[in-house]
Amino acid sequence: METLVYIALFAPFAGSLFAALFGMSERKTFVGIVGSALIGLSFVASATLALHIWQTGEAIHVTMMDWISAGDLHIPFGFVVDQVSVTMMTVVTLVSTIVHIYSIGYMDHDKSFNRFFSYLSAFVFSMMILVMSDNFAGLFIGWEGVGVCSWLLVGFWYHKPDQSREENPSISPSWAANEAFIMNRIADLGMLIGIFILYWNVGSLQYDVVFAAVPQLSGTVLNAAALALFIGAMGKSAQFPLHTWLTDAMEGPTPVSALIHAATMVTAGVFLVIRANPIFSMTPEVSYFIAALGTFVAFFAASMALVNRDLKRIIAFSTLSQLGYMFAAAGLGAYWIALFHLAAHAFFKALLFLGAGNVMHAMHDELDIFKMGGLKRVMKWSYIYMGVASLALAGIPFFAGFFSKDAIIETAWNEGTIVLWAILVVTAGMTAFYSFRQVFLTFEGDARYTEEIDYFKDGKHQPHEMYGYVLIAMSPLAILAVVAGFGMNAFEHFVTQLLPDYHMSEHTHHIAWILGLVVLVFAVGGIALAYKKYYKGLKRDEALESSWYYKLLANQYYIPNIYEEFISKPYAMISDMMWNKVDLKIVDATVDGIAKFLYKTGDGSRKMQTGNLSNYLNWMAVGAVILLVVAAISAVALG
Amino acid sequence: MDNILSVLVFFPAIAGLLGFVVDKKSARAYGITVAAIEFLLSLWLWFSFDTANAGMQFVEMIPLIPDFGVNYYLGVDGISLFIIIMATLMTLIGMMSMSIETDVKNMIITLLFLEMTMVGVFVALDAIIFYLFWELSLVPMLYIIGAWGGPLRVYASIKFFLYTFMGSLIMLVGMLFVAYVYHNLTGVWSFAITDWYALVLPVDYQLWLFMAFFLGFAIKVPMFPFHTWLPYAHGQAPTIGSVILAAVLLKMGTYGFVRFSLPMFPDASVMMITPIAVLSIIMVIYTAMVAYAQKDMKQVIAYSSVSHMGIIMIGIFAMNAEGIGGSVFQMLSHGIVSGALFMLVGIIYDRRHTKLMSEFGGLAAVMPKYAVIFGIMLMASVGLPLTIGFVGEFLVLLGFYEVSPIMTILAGTSIIIGAVYMLSVFKKSFFGPVTNEENKKLKDLTPRETWSLVPLVAIVIWLGVYPKPVLDPINKSVNAMLVFMEEKAITAEAKEIIKVPQSVTKAGEVK
Repeated sequence: METLVYIALFAPFAGSLFAALFGMSERKTFVGIVGSALIGLSFVASATLALHIWQTGEAIHVTMMDWISAGDLHIPFGFVVDQVSVTMMTVVTLVSTIVHIYSIGYMDHDKSFNRFFSYLSAFVFSMMILVMSDNFAGLFIGWEGVGVCSWLLVGFWYHKPDQSREENPSISPSWAANEAFIMNRIADLGMLIGIFILYWNVGSLQYDVVFAAVPQLSGTVLNAAALALFIGAMGKSAQFPLHTWLTDAMEGPTPVSALIHAATMVTAGVFLVIRANPIFSMTPEVSYFIAALGTFVAFFAASMALVNRDLKRIIAFSTLSQLGYMFAAAGLGAYWIALFHLAAHAFFKALLFLGAGNVMHAMHDELDIFKMGGLKRVMKWSYIYMGVASLALAGIPFFAGFFSKDAIIETAWNEGTIVLWAILVVTAGMTAFYSFRQVFLTFEGDARYTEEIDYFKDGKHQPHEMYGYVLIAMSPLAILAVVAGFGMNAFEHFVTQLLPDYHMSEHTHHIAWILGLVVLVFAVGGIALAYKKYYKGLKRDEALESSWYYKLLANQYYIPNIYEEFISKPYAMISDMMWNKVDLKIVDATVDGIAKFLYKTGDGSRKMQTGNLSNYLNWMAVGAVILLVVAAISAVALG
Repeated sequence: MDNILSVLVFFPAIAGLLGFVVDKKSARAYGITVAAIEFLLSLWLWFSFDTANAGMQFVEMIPLIPDFGVNYYLGVDGISLFIIIMATLMTLIGMMSMSIETDVKNMIITLLFLEMTMVGVFVALDAIIFYLFWELSLVPMLYIIGAWGGPLRVYASIKFFLYTFMGSLIMLVGMLFVAYVYHNLTGVWSFAITDWYALVLPVDYQLWLFMAFFLGFAIKVPMFPFHTWLPYAHGQAPTIGSVILAAVLLKMGTYGFVRFSLPMFPDASVMMITPIAVLSIIMVIYTAMVAYAQKDMKQVIAYSSVSHMGIIMIGIFAMNAEGIGGSVFQMLSHGIVSGALFMLVGIIYDRRHTKLMSEFGGLAAVMPKYAVIFGIMLMASVGLPLTIGFVGEFLVLLGFYEVSPIMTILAGTSIIIGAVYMLSVFKKSFFGPVTNEENKKLKDLTPRETWSLVPLVAIVIWLGVYPKPVLDPINKSVNAMLVFMEEKAITAEAKEIIKVPQSVTKAGEVK
């Protein structure tokens, strides 16, 4: 079994190195094939491990070697495969395999094809370290590793120039990449502080040691540690106020958005909360804060998705919103439900993104859904896939999202947090509306691109369906988006061997069908509204679009502008001032001033050396008097 | 080889003297050969180093002026061992990558003399010998900046020389005073650092002496507000000068704190934790911001150097094994990474004769290999796990957290603002379209440049993944130092704050 652990972990690394060998040479399809095969191998190993743990119920723990040891600190490269990590491993490698195969088709025309696969596999490797590590420092390796891979992949088309925010809300891929990295670093500082708190209070960073010591720790320490760790989670999972990077990260190639910014990396924050549940379940205040923030983000992100016109950004907002749901569940103590939604979401959201990728591929990277329409005629399969994914996302019975999201909303009711429950229910309706707004505007109605874009005139560039093998590769996701929900009971049984079980109270259980019905009414209502407004094509509503609230939402509540005006620009200004005014004019000028003063005094006193004897005698007398005075004073002072 | 340390110190100098008779054309090959032998010798030192022994090894002692207790006294422990290896390595790499065409022979000879003084500083166990090498190291650097530098080279080199010289004069006064006190207490003169360690000084003496040594070391580090000589020196120095300056010469300052200030004045050191930490935090944040404002790529690296030295300073004053060990490791990491970054800046300067970032843009498309290596060094510089930069920074911040959580959070902002200026450099120079015509035909790394950089990349990754071979000996010597400091401290406060690792205390009880 140990071998399987290493295969699951290092196969993606081998793939990355293999692709890197060809990183600077021209496109070679076999690089993509080998890369996909190695990730597939990792998936097979992970699935086998999952089966093994399912059967035996015992975690596998391996320690590869020492990493850092200094003083009392000992950090090994250790990996633990238990119910939680094996779930993550399987989900991550499954989605990764599909995205790798998909990329062979999607990145077909890109000259940096090989480099892309090197980065993508490196990402999978980092993600595997993140989920498999048996200690917080190891987690942090993966945590930063995925951050760098995300930086590389968001900025993959680094040659694009910066644009103004009006032309392109993300300015440029390289700008978006840097923004993502820096925002995550802010959160990472919180995470590091959390690690330090645990180390100085427990003396170790191993999960098992730390969790065993939790009952002995004081409430203050636990609260501080939980809060600091959660700040780390907020960055990776793009929670308010560190959320702006996620939509900007859509500048990366679409397979990257599907894999990193929907299915895997952004869920790392949720994973951390689930993994560290012994800490978070001891800190009710912090946990409640997590749930409240998650609920807020769910609503907040969904509101921005309502009016957005960018195909990928809508899905990014919806990811943000769903992450909010996951945090709501984790914060309310329903860790296994959060993990279940994480897995289900990974499937249907990756599917949705890959479907969007098909559309982009067909539309030559056009992203504005107002300029699409009628694509169902040429892209039947993509329509079905995106439709299925949207049904799952909207929580329509009996798709995957129905089970997982409903359970979260039910949890909010069960915990007596009625406000959170109400917000989550309304958000479910909004989710259904924006998902189908997007689907209808893209695929239904009349084609709006003919006037705008020149594809049809030359006859060569008609929108076309994605390659067959890509569509086949996507099918497992579609199947899972449909059926994953039926595995809920088995899943609960499996992961609650490790995670605390969460049951609805008797009362909630009784009215569960009413609660479910309320959510369903909202979801169906949302779809119906989208159908009414957009099924027959786009009818622009000028009055609505020029209203202040529409603009507020379309501009993301002006938060990116606020960050720019009140953080980025002042920082640049103060930096400049520090350099030009403080460093050069004060600190350095003082040093030079002292030097000049010494030089001048030396120069001045040189005049004393006139060669005139009586002059020297005068100075000698002065000196003698000064010495006497000094002697007298010190004699008096020292007594 | 019993006197390997003497060989290490004087081999480059003697070879340098012989270098005068070497033909101009083969001077470079000669220099590289000598530096390579010296590097191999330092590796040999590591292999014969007894990692189980925390004390001084390969000790050599020859009385020079017995009446005043001045001895030729050398030795290495885990703390100095790797700095020596880094110094010889960076000299070798620097020489290999050197692109200077004028007066190559003089440069080689100067570098070899510089190498002697650098190794000398880190092996000296006698204060006078230490001081001698410390001051001598200024001369070759003065010459390198003054003779091969940019347009402001005279101003920059004089500033560098006078500033650091003034600091070290005050340090010399401090040294003489310690020797005087030692004479008063024991009746014999001694300048041996190991003898001085045994001296238990009253707190007010400790404070005064701490200040005297502090000035000497702080200017060298350079700590805020004594740092302004450094941007000038880097701005004017040729690439090789910047590499050696950043990689090795700055480490003399921080090494001085570990070798002298901490063990000799434990109580004063503990009392000075807060002021020094405040200065260091200013150094970390302020210079990182100044680095962000720079338009010249080399100046960014120069200011970032100061910022990173702030992290090293904080670690030294964490007073626990994690912090000090991390700090010593960070010295090595900073040496390798900033050295490499200066070499990288030099490479683009050789091609374009400018270092202004506004002149570049889109270099990643034109010079992919260069961009990859720059990217790796950038990531090491911002402290990415599994690169050399993470280990030290992590340990330092972890260590200092025990002293002050708030100050650790402030110092920890370095991981954010460090990323801000480094990523901004990368974006301005490497990303975006290639707009400048002159950049369109730039050649990627030549084999010589590649082979100078690849070893550094290998070290950056090797010590990031497996720092144990280096960290263990460092840790051992640091633990020994802490045990000794804790015993020697006289104030209760110092005894409380100086923290000997539990693993060491327990092992002691068993014995």
